[in-house]
Amino acid sequence: MGYLMHIIIIALIYAIFAVSLNIELGFTGLYNFGHVAFFGIGAYTSALLSLAGMPVFLSMACGMAAAAAAGFLLAIPALRLSGDYFGIATLVFAEMVRLFFLNERWLTRGPMGIPGIPRPDCIGAGIASLPKFLLFSGLVAAAVFLIVRRLTTSPFGRVLKVVREDEFVAQALGKNVFSLKVKTVILGSLLAGLAGAMWAHYVTYISPADFTLTETILVLLCVVLGGRGTNWGPVLGAFLVIFSSESVRFLPIPSDLGRFVAPLQGMIYGAVLILIMLKRPGGIIPEHAG
Amino acid sequence: MIYYLQLGLNGIIAGSTYAMFAVGLTMVYGVFRFINFAHGELIAYGAYLTLLWSQPPFSLPLYLAILPALAITAAIGLAQDRWIFHPLRNSKPITLLIGSIGLSYFLRNGIRIIWGSDLMSYGLESTRGMRFAGLTVTTVQVLMVASAVFFLGLLYVILTRTLLGKSLRAVSDNPELAGVMGINMKKVRLTVWTLASVFAGFGGILLALDTNLEPTMGLTNLIKAFAAVLLGGAGNVWGALFGGLFIGIAENISVAFFSPGYKDFISFSVIILVLLFRPKGIFGILEGVR
Amino acid sequence: MNMLRLKNVTKSFGGQTAVNDVSLMLKGDGITGLVGPNGSGKTTLFHLITGFYTLDRGEIRYADRVISGRQPHTISRMGLVRTFQQTRALSFMSTLDNLLSAAPDQAGERPAHVFLHPVRVKREERKNREKAGKILEILNLGSVADNLAGNLSFGQQKLVELGRVLMARPKMILLDEPTAGINPTLIRQLTEVIRKLNSDGIKIFLIEHNMPFVAEICEEIFVMDSGKLIFHGTPIEARENDRVIDAYLGRENHAA
Repeated sequence: MGYLMHIIIIALIYAIFAVSLNIELGFTGLYNFGHVAFFGIGAYTSALLSLAGMPVFLSMACGMAAAAAAGFLLAIPALRLSGDYFGIATLVFAEMVRLFFLNERWLTRGPMGIPGIPRPDCIGAGIASLPKFLLFSGLVAAAVFLIVRRLTTSPFGRVLKVVREDEFVAQALGKNVFSLKVKTVILGSLLAGLAGAMWAHYVTYISPADFTLTETILVLLCVVLGGRGTNWGPVLGAFLVIFSSESVRFLPIPSDLGRFVAPLQGMIYGAVLILIMLKRPGGIIPEHAG
Repeated sequence: MIYYLQLGLNGIIAGSTYAMFAVGLTMVYGVFRFINFAHGELIAYGAYLTLLWSQPPFSLPLYLAILPALAITAAIGLAQDRWIFHPLRNSKPITLLIGSIGLSYFLRNGIRIIWGSDLMSYGLESTRGMRFAGLTVTTVQVLMVASAVFFLGLLYVILTRTLLGKSLRAVSDNPELAGVMGINMKKVRLTVWTLASVFAGFGGILLALDTNLEPTMGLTNLIKAFAAVLLGGAGNVWGALFGGLFIGIAENISVAFFSPGYKDFISFSVIILVLLFRPKGIFGILEGVR
Repeated sequence: MNMLRLKNVTKSFGGQTAVNDVSLMLKGDGITGLVGPNGSGKTTLFHLITGFYTLDRGEIRYADRVISGRQPHTISRMGLVRTFQQTRALSFMSTLDNLLSAAPDQAGERPAHVFLHPVRVKREERKNREKAGKILEILNLGSVADNLAGNLSFGQQKLVELGRVLMARPKMILLDEPTAGINPTLIRQLTEVIRKLNSDGIKIFLIEHNMPFVAEICEEIFVMDSGKLIFHGTPIEARENDRVIDAYLGRENHAA
């Protein structure tokens, strides 16, 4: 039972993470492959501040702000680049951030990571606190979902789709495409920072190894599998990916084959990404009817 | 002074390997107009397959093991095209990029399954370095540069003297016109992928000779290859050569000034700087609409 | 009153000069045409005027304000709106959404406003819907308002593009080959719509290859050839002009 709650919590956090990427990738057509950097910045900022004595909810807010600021700083130069070059640039950015986490030991303790990250006071630590954290994550995820849905169903969401479909038309219609893209990246980074901060305070130990290309691929899979450009798509994708990756533990695998599990999962995820691109690039939940 | 010359020499040695990686990547981009994220895995598989053939039950000497290894690597490259990239050729560039990211993840985990995640090597006895003019270089390193020069010279001959090579350059220059002029696109496709795979694979072998093998070697060197490609102008083979050498030398000289942990930063910075200030690269010729 | 003024506008790509030292003035009323053989630089000129290309040399003024060097969206919001040569209907949005997205100055397009001023956003959206509905009726697209624009016929998509332009409350419209690829009945309909727009006070500047259409609807035309402006006058004068004739026919003689 406790394990089920654990999986759901992780899925909810990844749902927030995926929703944040979907705003950029699914709605606006920004291939931000460095999104994990903001997840990490949110995590590290909140972890370090809370360990320095700041109340957890405040440190999480600071984590979000730091992530949003980083998103802004990245957006201004990077958004001048076209589609796939933007993707590469953001990917490189994420790797640079990870290198920073790895090398600046005075701040981040480098590869050893940061243990003992506190839980919010009202939730507390240990197994007994799981239901409270579940409630917390559920509430936050629901709030994020509703806020994002409000935005995507508004004229703002509509104009983002115009930008995605045809930038030239958007410009010809008088839309300031650059400004819209920057706003999108800030929003996406803000929410990714929130997801990262929540994750840090849940797992209570983070290290640079948690914020690699693998995590980028995972969240990309969530968005692409579930259905990009929809509201429920990334949520569905997150639950599918997290549940499938965690439920593997329950399969009766002889221990000497244990080392194959993770790479085999990796191969499956890679293959799924390829298949989706080949057969159903839009994902499970379609954006348009027909 | 000698110290810097030695670093420079090391840089040329590393750079000649990077050049091998970069020319394949840039050829694929020049002809197909997308960045193959899985190019790194061609590098890795070249190295690992050589290891496979040099061990029991085949136990070929290294210089013979290279042959079947490169053949299989070329087969992998051709399979990539046949099953994934050619079917996706009319999709948006993002679809190809995501597909190649998925493929790269798939192949990388394949390495983990087949060979495990530990560091490996070809088991050559470390040779004493030869000294001349105060600089040290090992026979293996001389071999590396010599074979890289040989292969690149071969490429030069292919591209400038053979019909196939010229067709390749024509397609890279102007894809629509080339099709109309009756160039055999299928042959060009097969040639590009074979060349790219062989060069990447052989580069991987050289790299593994000098250092060692590990599953992420493809990914790490993809970034360097990409930096070299961008620097020289995407699609420009000689630019890629220059770019590879530049990155190799810059990386090795930087060790004198920065902590080695940030060595990768060189390629990252090159990518970011080129994208920001001169996206066409030093030798590239692209036109721009706003 | 001079609405649009080009001075020595030049643009080259690589070694090729696409637009060569073009200077012209457009008054604020009437319908003006821009014609010329393929590759004469007409669409490039449109791109330059609307800010999608940057000039190498020269200056462009609209309503006496310099627009050369400005961003396309800024120019659009000044009232200078364009269509594209290849129809760019937003295929994955409904016809209605296509028009709604064209409405200018929507408070709802700013994320903060969505939460801080929901009533205003809703009100604007309602007004825009009404306006879009009326435009769709004028263009005979009312019945396909909810269809995906990508599922419409080519002619209908062209009308959708025109509808978008109308939503944008333009003062001057640049149409790039409006009659290309559509049947005569639709051309009739289009001619009426364009005429009505003009009589409502909107200046029209259009690129066309359809000479009868140009002769019927344009009071004045400019002719371009190989990047240069070679003629300015009425369509009838153009037909008698040696340089114009040479530009269109001379090609064939030289090629032989």
